[in-house]
Amino acid sequence: MTALTMPTRPRHDASLRPVPWRRMAWVTWRQHRAALAGLAALLGALAVYLWLTGLQLHQSYATYCHPASSLACAINFTGRYGITGNLVSIFLQAVPALIGAFVGAPVLAREMETGTFRYAWTQGFGRWRWALAKLVLLAVAVAAAAGAFSVLYSWFNQPFFAAGYAIPFSTRLFDLGEVAFPAWTLAAFAIGVLAGMLIRRVVPAIAATLAVYAGLASATALWLRQHYMTPLLTTKLNLPSSAWIVSQWYTKGGQFAFGARGSGIVNAVSRLCPSYNGSPAQCLTQHGYTQWSSYQPGSRFWPFQWIEGGWLLALSVLLIAATVWLVRRRAA
Amino acid sequence: MYSDQHLRVSDAEREAVSGRLAEHFAAGRLDQAEFDDRVGRAMTAKTRADLRGLFADLSETGAPAVPELPRGGGSTPGGGPRGPGSPIEFRLDTASGVPTYLQLVHQVEHALRLGYLKPGDQLPKVRDVVASLAINPNTVLKAYKELETKGLTAGRPGQGTFIQAGLSQVALPELAGLRKALLGWLTTAGAAGLDEDGMVALFTSALRDFHERRGGSRTRGGAASAETEGVA
Amino acid sequence: MNMNVIEASGLGKRYGSTWALRECSLAVPAGHVAALVGPNGAGKTTLLNLAVGLAEPTAGRVTVLGGRPAGSPAALDGIAFVAQDTPLYKNLSGGDMLHLTANLNRGFDQPYARARLAELGIPPKRKAGKLSGGQQAQLALTLALARRPRLLVLDEPMAMLDPLARHDFMASVLTAAAEDGVSVVLSSHVLAELERVADYLILLSRGRVQVAGDVEDLLATHRMLTGPAAEADRYTGRPVVHARRAEVQAHLLVRAAADDPVPPRWEAHPVGLEELAMAYLREPDAAALPGPARGRNPEPTEATR
Repeated sequence: MTALTMPTRPRHDASLRPVPWRRMAWVTWRQHRAALAGLAALLGALAVYLWLTGLQLHQSYATYCHPASSLACAINFTGRYGITGNLVSIFLQAVPALIGAFVGAPVLAREMETGTFRYAWTQGFGRWRWALAKLVLLAVAVAAAAGAFSVLYSWFNQPFFAAGYAIPFSTRLFDLGEVAFPAWTLAAFAIGVLAGMLIRRVVPAIAATLAVYAGLASATALWLRQHYMTPLLTTKLNLPSSAWIVSQWYTKGGQFAFGARGSGIVNAVSRLCPSYNGSPAQCLTQHGYTQWSSYQPGSRFWPFQWIEGGWLLALSVLLIAATVWLVRRRAA
Repeated sequence: MYSDQHLRVSDAEREAVSGRLAEHFAAGRLDQAEFDDRVGRAMTAKTRADLRGLFADLSETGAPAVPELPRGGGSTPGGGPRGPGSPIEFRLDTASGVPTYLQLVHQVEHALRLGYLKPGDQLPKVRDVVASLAINPNTVLKAYKELETKGLTAGRPGQGTFIQAGLSQVALPELAGLRKALLGWLTTAGAAGLDEDGMVALFTSALRDFHERRGGSRTRGGAASAETEGVA
Repeated sequence: MNMNVIEASGLGKRYGSTWALRECSLAVPAGHVAALVGPNGAGKTTLLNLAVGLAEPTAGRVTVLGGRPAGSPAALDGIAFVAQDTPLYKNLSGGDMLHLTANLNRGFDQPYARARLAELGIPPKRKAGKLSGGQQAQLALTLALARRPRLLVLDEPMAMLDPLARHDFMASVLTAAAEDGVSVVLSSHVLAELERVADYLILLSRGRVQVAGDVEDLLATHRMLTGPAAEADRYTGRPVVHARRAEVQAHLLVRAAADDPVPPRWEAHPVGLEELAMAYLREPDAAALPGPARGRNPEPTEATR
């Protein structure tokens, strides 16, 4: 008896209940095993590095930085590890983008590019449920991994904050915070997924994801973030170091004179205090100028994290919903 | 063994002998003319002695008085001991221009004629024919229905299709008469200038028309059904 | 079983400004192996995509398996589709594909599928991308058949296969049709290989359905008349689909039954499926659809849509 004449089993009566959602767990895992493994490898390798270096950091801080303003601290701790800390924070900026591009973009782009959607979308599960289940599962996995990683990173950075070398509110470190980092990773994933569905080719979708993410992250850091809450205004010269100074300018006699950066202030200082060695602020206030600072106090750090996390989450949900909608209505 | 040579022979025996002669012809022991002659004699034989004489110069392995239907190993039809399943296999000639279902019908009739099939044998299951030839199942069903209409087969529900009658339902005098008429026609055709190919072409074309008219009117009314064919 | 596996009325699909399929009305009955034939670009893939729910119609509608809307969960459940180039996840093994398909469907006959792969000699642990073309096609077919569909739709499944693989593939498809009563719709641009396989023919040309009907009926209602070329133009006996003429002799493909009277000096022959299809392909205005006949001779009744 050949295979071609194998006796067949009569199919049992199928009810019209939809195929259970939980089936997609294995499907998603098996199909995206490689991407998830890559994610684990990347974050894992970084985590190992942070762990080992972080131990050294904490040790050094404990040894030298009591008090934190001592010279010993400045030499043995800040001087030795400061640059490392900076480099790590710069490097980690790229991580959400990479995750979004290389995990998110291929999910749908590869199906469209290789034509396997003609298999996947004609199975009994149904195409939009398939897309929704897969995207939600991957989104949760990505966000959870990023969240765990950001907790580790906060631990890593903690000595720098304690020594006053860095503040959480700084531009480079804010989006690596424990709420912002997973939120940005999730948003990058959502951008990648939508780009993949629109562009339908893996490599262009990856490129587009990186570009869009870079644009969005820059726009947020440079412009959007400062407006989450109305900044406070003050004329005090010495602000707490934890505050995020959004902008500073000088007025004289109630009139705006010039901003705290740029040729205006440079000319004024060199004209008024030609051989002065102190800060420009002291020079100018002695000559009747008032320094205004618009700032966000350090206490607003966590509310800002939640605001940023919130709108990024909403954006991600919107992008993923748009993707599922596209899957539902897209013609082959 | 020789004591019953005066006994009269039956149609089945004559048929069986024709089959044996065909074997020898295929093996090359007889040429066309001899074969035609001996088959003619077999068809008009009256006693066993007449039949015995036909094989006088042909090698036999223990020739029985009444030749059995061919069996045994090697290249003889029937191949090996009969087990379950059908004794025959179909083949398909895609270039012949003959409709597939007709090819199957012809092959069954041919097998009956040569003794590969005898009454009680089972035809291959539809599913097996489909699997080995990659043809539409309805084609096989149509062929089997045609055979049933001709009275050659009968379907047993749940089991399959079985041979129920042999060929050559034509009575012997009629057969001899037909042969004579055919030879007369051939002589006339030859005198008119037709060569052998021309005769074959004319005959084939007329036969096709005859089949069309007879087969067309019969199958248009009937619907193909799968009830008589048992599927495992 | 007298439902229609595919029913289309006025179905049309436009891509940009081109109509890939137009005014397509079909009723393919169940229990048949239907061949969808036509030159490249005729709209075969478009029609199949519409039927399995991969594309949305621009005009008209299409239902499957007795009235279920194409692409609906009920339709997806009963139809198994194997697209052109048999898409498989190349980095997944045969066994993985089985498990995947089992998870994505309500019913899946895993033992049958595994046994089939074993008998076909397809190693279940080898990645699908490393299998030969014939093995990939058989794997895709196994996945489809193990879903126990009512309708199997195949889009040019044999384009990449060698003759032996093609034979085995079709044998598998037809055995499923014979045993389980699965209806089959398969497309190809090579009619010769479908002749002994199909009992229902749909001929698509330039996005329109030219011929649709039972093969037996089509062959029974067409004749090839051979006769003097001089009389060919004056022939008005039956609708002429296509005429071929030389100086003295002409062949006319007409819609006529076997027992229709043949004019004196003319001969009538039955027509083969390939010859019939070729004739229609050469005459874009001719059609043989269920309903009144249409040929080149003007008839008072037009084919109904």
